[in-house]
Amino acid sequence: MTEFLRRGTPGMTSVSDMLVKQDGPPPGGFPSVRYARRLPATGPTGPTLFLVTGVVMAYGFYLVGQTNIEGRKVKQEKYEARKALVPVLQAEEDRRYVKVARAFHEQEAALMKNEKDWKVGESVYSTGKWMKPPQLVGIWDEKIFD
Amino acid sequence: MASASEAPPVPASSILMSASKLIAIECGAPSRAYMACKKRDANPETCLAEGDAVTGCVINLLKDLNETCPKELKAYYECMDYYSNNFLKCRDVQKAFEEVALNRKKVTK
Repeated sequence: MTEFLRRGTPGMTSVSDMLVKQDGPPPGGFPSVRYARRLPATGPTGPTLFLVTGVVMAYGFYLVGQTNIEGRKVKQEKYEARKALVPVLQAEEDRRYVKVARAFHEQEAALMKNEKDWKVGESVYSTGKWMKPPQLVGIWDEKIFD
Repeated sequence: MASASEAPPVPASSILMSASKLIAIECGAPSRAYMACKKRDANPETCLAEGDAVTGCVINLLKDLNETCPKELKAYYECMDYYSNNFLKCRDVQKAFEEVALNRKKVTK
């Protein structure tokens, strides 16, 4: 079919016109391939990039500093409020503690009334400072607190 | 434990936090005396009198606030209760309360 359509045109009209049947480049050869480097020197320069980065970072750090200042103010307000409430709450706790401690010492006096040289509520420490009763650790039977 | 006839509990922490600035201003003297006593001796029994002075001052202050500006106080402590004592969330009610409370004329003695 191809041979019929191309009969008479210059050049090859069919595969059968080839002198030697082999795979090869097309007539005229392949077009040349560019393999040389081409690095365009466009866009911002190195120092410009550093400068812009520096400016952005400086602005960011400034905002961080401002945020920290504001955050400190907020925290100060919270701590001032808590500081103002410490005496009220501690006074309440003192009253509760004294009530419980007096009941405990009465119980202790009743138990130890026949003991010689027993001082009720005597401190076990030798420094002279008042110390909190030690913290209980572990699981205790509730009955011992009655 | 809570029966149907009991009133709902008041948010004590929020009330105290709302009034904290006024407590610091008006009950500062007895508070400082109490803390000085505590610094001398940590034993609770020695500072009972000073502690009672602090508690009395704060109770009188709260009674006075309830007499002079109950609505602003309620709005403020309800906001604090809702936002778990976050001052940042309650700036508007705080401003309204402080405008009234800091310039009020005291009713209770």
